[in-house]
Amino acid sequence: MTKKIPSHIQFSQINKSYSKKHFGLFTNKKASKVILNSADIELKGGECILLTGKNGSGKSTLLRILAGLLRPDSATINTGFESLSWKQSRKLIRKQVMYLHQEPYMFDGTVRRNLEYAVQGSKSAKKVKKALKWANLEHRADTSAKCLSGGERQRVALAQAWLKQPSVLLLDEPTANMDDGSRRSTEEILNTFKQMGTALLIASHDVNHFHHTMDKRLLLEDGEIFKIDNFDKKVTFFPQKKETGRY
Amino acid sequence: MESLSTTLLEALTLLFRGDAELWNIIGISFQISSTAILIAMIPAVLIGFALAYAEFPGRRLLISLFNTLLAVPAVVVGLTLYIVLSRQGPLGEWKLLFSQTAMVMGQIALSFPILVAMSHSAFQSAEMRAWNTARTLAKNPLHAFMIIMREVRFGLLGALLAGYGRIIAEVGASMMLGGNILNVTRNIPTAIAMETSKGEFAQGIALGIILLVMAFFLTMTLQYMQGRGSLAHD
Repeated sequence: MTKKIPSHIQFSQINKSYSKKHFGLFTNKKASKVILNSADIELKGGECILLTGKNGSGKSTLLRILAGLLRPDSATINTGFESLSWKQSRKLIRKQVMYLHQEPYMFDGTVRRNLEYAVQGSKSAKKVKKALKWANLEHRADTSAKCLSGGERQRVALAQAWLKQPSVLLLDEPTANMDDGSRRSTEEILNTFKQMGTALLIASHDVNHFHHTMDKRLLLEDGEIFKIDNFDKKVTFFPQKKETGRY
Repeated sequence: MESLSTTLLEALTLLFRGDAELWNIIGISFQISSTAILIAMIPAVLIGFALAYAEFPGRRLLISLFNTLLAVPAVVVGLTLYIVLSRQGPLGEWKLLFSQTAMVMGQIALSFPILVAMSHSAFQSAEMRAWNTARTLAKNPLHAFMIIMREVRFGLLGALLAGYGRIIAEVGASMMLGGNILNVTRNIPTAIAMETSKGEFAQGIALGIILLVMAFFLTMTLQYMQGRGSLAHD
């Protein structure tokens, strides 16, 4: 039986820097750039966190590390039962944490086939049918997934997540380039994930969205994560550090 | 010299009469090249995959190396293996020179860089995003690999056909390593070269027709599978 990680999970002391390599062999340490500097983040089941930050601040890098897709320089993962290094927990993370790219990749084939990739076990046809209905994609089931609009692709990716039932769902700019209607329907879908007890972490540079979904807002700046306390107030620009507390 | 039409007629007669020697040469050719491509295929695709998606020291150097090997002439590959397999060579004791095994080895060496370079391009065309998505969705790494293989199947098929096309028609390595022995190592290109040097063009043309027909069907198959040849979408 698969060991399930709890939806309450703490990632601490995450460090990541990118260094330039000559011919892929020799590292130029002087040209390295620090992306994450002892960043800490805690994800709880049924809670939605909005992670904001300027373009290039490292939001996507952080999400890919949390999803087990990118190796950090160092990181510790606390599942409540034990404290593990990123390397030790990577397999477990990959099974339970799901990362949705800002432009979800659609494989060659129909929407139905793309959903089938996410199904494990028996009765896959029934499960896919349910997922299509859940994401309101029944009418697009036999359409080539490569021909879908940005909003529809995002819904396919969310339907895949619904089929996988991860403990933690990481979303990278899920509503970028969407119209208001698509944005609202995406928020509704995200709310159902919250109700299912999934921990949500949304990375977005657009700080004024997800009002009805988010419980907490964090700011990633200079490689560190800060908590923004007064998120009821509409933010027109990134807050100064003094308005925030180190998370 | 006989006229071209007479030679062509003779060639077609040889083919349709079922000339045993001719069809034996064709059989040996396909047997050797198919064995070589089947052996080279799996490791080459795995290396292409690793070069596209894995970060490791020396990756770029390896890519440059395989791209350089694409340009190595068949006769140089043949010469190198000839030295290795000859009596005084490091593998001389194996007594493989002038055998089908030696020809298979030469054809593996020739097709390997093409297979690696083209499968690397095929995997690269699917982007890192595709691999990350496959890993996120799949139940295990093997399942993820199968998803990505399906995604780049036309590129991989193209690599196989290009590799096969290169070895089935190459003469330099086959001549040096096989020795053109009738019913053992004489294949289509070595037979064409020999018959032409003797001034017997009919058999050479008959074998040439086989190569041409094979190339046509391989290309047609690939086009059909890729949906090429149809009009562009609006």
